[in-house]
Amino acid sequence: MTLSVAIDQDTREGTRTGTEQSASSLTAPDIPWNLVIWNDPVNLMSYVSYVFQSYFGYPESKANKLMMEVHKKGRSIVAHGSKEQVEQHAVAMHGFGLWATVEKASGGSGKGKGNTGNSGSGKGNRG
Amino acid sequence: MAKAFKYGVKGISGFLEPAERELLRGLLGDVISMLEPQEAAHQDPLAALIGLDMDVQEPTDSALRRLLPNVSRNDDAASLEFRQLTERSLRETKIGALKAAALDLDKDEILLNDTGARHWSMALNDIRLVLAERLDIRDEEDADHVHQMQDWSQAEDVGSYLALVYNFTTWLQESLMQAMLQSLETSR
Repeated sequence: MTLSVAIDQDTREGTRTGTEQSASSLTAPDIPWNLVIWNDPVNLMSYVSYVFQSYFGYPESKANKLMMEVHKKGRSIVAHGSKEQVEQHAVAMHGFGLWATVEKASGGSGKGKGNTGNSGSGKGNRG
Repeated sequence: MAKAFKYGVKGISGFLEPAERELLRGLLGDVISMLEPQEAAHQDPLAALIGLDMDVQEPTDSALRRLLPNVSRNDDAASLEFRQLTERSLRETKIGALKAAALDLDKDEILLNDTGARHWSMALNDIRLVLAERLDIRDEEDADHVHQMQDWSQAEDVGSYLALVYNFTTWLQESLMQAMLQSLETSR
């Protein structure tokens, strides 16, 4: 991610010039999947925070915390749920241009039951 | 000179000079043409209708790969399968946002509601992702290096021109994001 550029100046010189397939049914439905967002040097921190807030419905503090985790650690699990749920989130994140992947949650079925990624109304979905 | 996007009672407003509009129109058009799927003559019309594309492959162009990334980090087969089911509609989502932004450029005053602002933020982001690939921005250090390039009189080759264009769209997107975050906060 890239830091916010200074925009204190009001003006500036511009330019003059149905996602499941049969294989997944082998996965027990209660095994959680993670939605992972990866760091990249292009996406603005403000944009990533906006996407987390508007798409997942996360409060600003949580969105910023996850955003900083992506920035500092290189990746962050921003939601979990069933395979279908995280895949749906992934395609929405790709729509926003964020680098998202899905992965089976490690540590088995004990983790990630909270399903936190499903709280948003998805109003930011599918521009 | 462009003005930063501003959040106000009417929505989010912005101002761009004709040359800046022309530049953005060109960039939007470039990304749209990258994303427009090649229609295969033998394509099954029903599959196309429901968004399936069984012939799809991972893009060879790195910029396109960044716009349409793999969904799995280490399972290529799963990524390809996901691509077959979702890539066509993802392309359409992106093209929709890019076209909406291009249409807004035709009006004298850029005034955006929530949906319009979201389309603009997605469109500017996709433009930047493509430019960043062309500029070989691989890490934060590369990004900082490109960011140094701020003076249009320094534009002497394609690389420096691209860097300036990248910095301009970055500035524009950042100002839009500040206005959008303000709008989100107000609506809470």
